[in-house]
Amino acid sequence: MDVNDKTLKALTTALNFREMRQELISSNVANANTPGFKAKKMDFEEALARALDVDGQMGMNVTDGRHHNVGNGGFNNLEPEIYDNPNGVVAENGNTVDVEAEMAQMAENKLMYDALVQLINKKMGIMKYAINSEK
Amino acid sequence: MDLLSSLRISSSGLAAQRKRMEAHSSNIANAQTTRTAEGGPYRRKEVVFGSEPERDSFSEILEGELAENAQTVHATEVVHTDKVIFKHDPTHPDANSEGYVAMPDINPMVEMANMIEAQRAYESNVTALNITKQMAMKTLEIGRGN
Amino acid sequence: MSIKDISGFQNTLGNADAKGWSRSVDNNFGGNFNIEGAPSVGEAGGAKSFGEFLSESIGKVNSMQNEANVAMEQLASGESQNLHETLLAVEKADIAFRTMNQVRTKVIDAYREIMKMQI
Repeated sequence: MDVNDKTLKALTTALNFREMRQELISSNVANANTPGFKAKKMDFEEALARALDVDGQMGMNVTDGRHHNVGNGGFNNLEPEIYDNPNGVVAENGNTVDVEAEMAQMAENKLMYDALVQLINKKMGIMKYAINSEK
Repeated sequence: MDLLSSLRISSSGLAAQRKRMEAHSSNIANAQTTRTAEGGPYRRKEVVFGSEPERDSFSEILEGELAENAQTVHATEVVHTDKVIFKHDPTHPDANSEGYVAMPDINPMVEMANMIEAQRAYESNVTALNITKQMAMKTLEIGRGN
Repeated sequence: MSIKDISGFQNTLGNADAKGWSRSVDNNFGGNFNIEGAPSVGEAGGAKSFGEFLSESIGKVNSMQNEANVAMEQLASGESQNLHETLLAVEKADIAFRTMNQVRTKVIDAYREIMKMQI
């Protein structure tokens, strides 16, 4: 277990993405009354799962710089997908934000964020423990 | 940085809803005002919201898609309607020659509904702000105490 | 268990990796650590050597760590929604690792004790 290990990178990448998601949700909530504003959604799970290739099912050869990194733990070029929420109900002023749905999303995001921080802490804790137990 | 931007976005929402609140409570307070400094009855106020990208153009280049998609909001304009309604009341000091008084076109129900909506929106922005703050505090816990 | 050979013991503990360690334990002691009459690890009647037992345990700890890693990755990428299972797997691996570390510490302490003995 070293500080560069794949799991730790996955955890910190997920943490970054969830931060971005929080920003997007805040933006939706703040603009809940802005005429013509379209609610935005963000997906990162697929990109991350591909980079992790957890069950070894998605093997791909990388022969060009633009190819997706699959399973190699190439986390540096991951981009999230941001798009208009297709499930938005259009109000008369053209706004598609559903505040309750956004708040529910925010709660889930926060919970997962906390869980990720905790897992990172656990990993760091174990590493520190292993280092400190030399006598 | 993302969390700080989230704070800015949420606080822009708070400011915008507060302006909206001010406009509508001013409307309610002035529902019977027939004399104003500009002459004529009080004109009903409304705020118009607009959104714009939170980032300045330089960091947009660095930060990619999120930059254009996360938007702050502001109350871009306070608009006055020119509409007045005429009430027949010859005893009113401001009645014109036919006994009609020009009154502001304000329906208290509409104003109340707007105020309630503004309050709800304000609260949801407060919640968003609090959650962002909690996330930032949680981040500080990495590496602490183990 | 009788200490037949101090240098043999030294050889044993000098081997850094677990497999080598357990193999050398077997070789240098020429037998197993089982105390007569004590219940033996493994099937009844068949005595498993301490070395085997140790290397198996280390293997188990390692696989628990791997399971925990996989669980964490699945949680991060949203494939698994099981927060509780992930946390449990991580905790189990954590405890197993710390236990193994304690065993290692105790073995080294025992070695040092023995080295202190004046012959």
